[in-house]
Amino acid sequence: METGRIYTSSDRRAKIIAWIVIVIFFLIYYAVMAMLAPAKKMKALKSEYGYRQDENNPVDERIFSDSTYLDCLRNKSFLQSRVTIAATDSIYLSISLPDSTLNLEICGVTVHRAQIRRINISTIFSGGGNYVILSMLSNPFTISKNFSSIEKEPLMIKMAPKDTSEYVPDIIPDTADYEPVNYIMEMDNGIRLYIYQEDKLKPGDSLYRSLFDIYHRMRYAAKTFLRVITFRIPEYQPYIKLRIPRSDAKIIYRALPEKGQIALYP
Amino acid sequence: MDEMKIPDDGARPDNGHIPADPVQNGQQKLIVTDQSLYRKIIDNEKVSEVLYIVFNWLLVLVIIASLLAFFMYGVPAFQEIPLTKKTIINNSEELKKDALYKKQIILIKRDIQRLSRRYNSYTSGQSYLVINTTDNLFYLYRNKKLLRQGHCSTGSFKMLKTEEGRSWVFKTPKGKFWIHGKTENPPWRRPDWSFVEEGLPIPPQDHYSRWEYGVLGDYALSLGDGYLIHGTIYKRFLGMPVTHGCVRLNDNDLEAIFNTLNIGSKVYIF
Repeated sequence: METGRIYTSSDRRAKIIAWIVIVIFFLIYYAVMAMLAPAKKMKALKSEYGYRQDENNPVDERIFSDSTYLDCLRNKSFLQSRVTIAATDSIYLSISLPDSTLNLEICGVTVHRAQIRRINISTIFSGGGNYVILSMLSNPFTISKNFSSIEKEPLMIKMAPKDTSEYVPDIIPDTADYEPVNYIMEMDNGIRLYIYQEDKLKPGDSLYRSLFDIYHRMRYAAKTFLRVITFRIPEYQPYIKLRIPRSDAKIIYRALPEKGQIALYP
Repeated sequence: MDEMKIPDDGARPDNGHIPADPVQNGQQKLIVTDQSLYRKIIDNEKVSEVLYIVFNWLLVLVIIASLLAFFMYGVPAFQEIPLTKKTIINNSEELKKDALYKKQIILIKRDIQRLSRRYNSYTSGQSYLVINTTDNLFYLYRNKKLLRQGHCSTGSFKMLKTEEGRSWVFKTPKGKFWIHGKTENPPWRRPDWSFVEEGLPIPPQDHYSRWEYGVLGDYALSLGDGYLIHGTIYKRFLGMPVTHGCVRLNDNDLEAIFNTLNIGSKVYIF
């Protein structure tokens, strides 16, 4: 006699409950792994930039919780970082969060200034009272990757005419050509700088910005997911999200070299 | 399927009931009709099957959206929860009296002064020119004060290619430059690309057809590598990216810049 398995509704319910439990456990594991990432990053930063006692020049470690000292350290780090880049003859960006300004500089000369309209930063930068973070900022960040809605160099290819009969004089460029300006710069030290256009000049600007943001959130989520499912703590990438006028955003993106440098005053 | 029967008491006034209001009666009928339609939909196997599928799909979509929201928004938000110990600023008065503390503050302030001096030394106190190639604008400074600003034309970002494989990119270089030379009534020595662009044969280097007069305006300032700041006969294009890499200005601006900048003056292009 053939015996067939009969699925009852209670079997089905048990299966669903089992799946729900598995998913909940996975989500808890995922959240825990993700939350371990910032601590891992801080540990790595501490080992790189943390204070080491020098026997010849001892320092009372209580100084690292003194506001006068930390203010001086913040100023020193920002200046140190800018002096380092200014010596390289390159175009660079200096971000001053307390003044809400973005300065495009060449060899110490400010060539363009943009006002930041909205700031959203990772908790490790907020407050600005951490010796390790302030020490890290004494080195400029170098851009390692750019993700942008506009091209860095909008090259147009034109084939040369074979003779004068084929020659057509250049048409005036279409200056009314419009594209929203949003970009993300990933730094070599893992920091992400988001620059989004603040103004809504065309009806689709907000939607485009949201889509751009969602696309990159998905990309970063996929990266984290891949690490978590292979039982590795994901990489924590602190962020600085800034909203500035579109024209300034475009100028800054086009002016900065591919591997440009950035100095931050938190 | 059985139809619901409605007792029509209003039709028999002699049973002691008050006759029903015709308007009220109509509402009751409407409700009853709706209920029967609802029952009909629910009882219809095909419809309920479709509803079941739609509900299942909606549930699946809600679960997917929730999971995506968790991974894309929830997890980054969790990561921002401060788990590590934050530095507590205590500003201890006792510490401020400490000689070691005072020494550290003096040292760090000395460092700041040294760095500030070094940084300020980079800023030119002389005259300098700033060119914005994105918006095609120029700014002329003297002693860190803005003297003049206006429109200019910079590189068009066109790449000219020939079938033989030669190519030229018409863009204005960015960075720090300085004035290598100043010329009045400059002639233009046409480079190879200007012939290629018009479909003309390239003449020898010293051929007379390479020289043109009056097209660069009254003055030219050289930035090196063949790049010039000069005038133009195409004034209607000022403010647009149309050049082959040089910086074009109108006559008055060019004259002001020519008279303000000296050989060695800095030009910052971004």
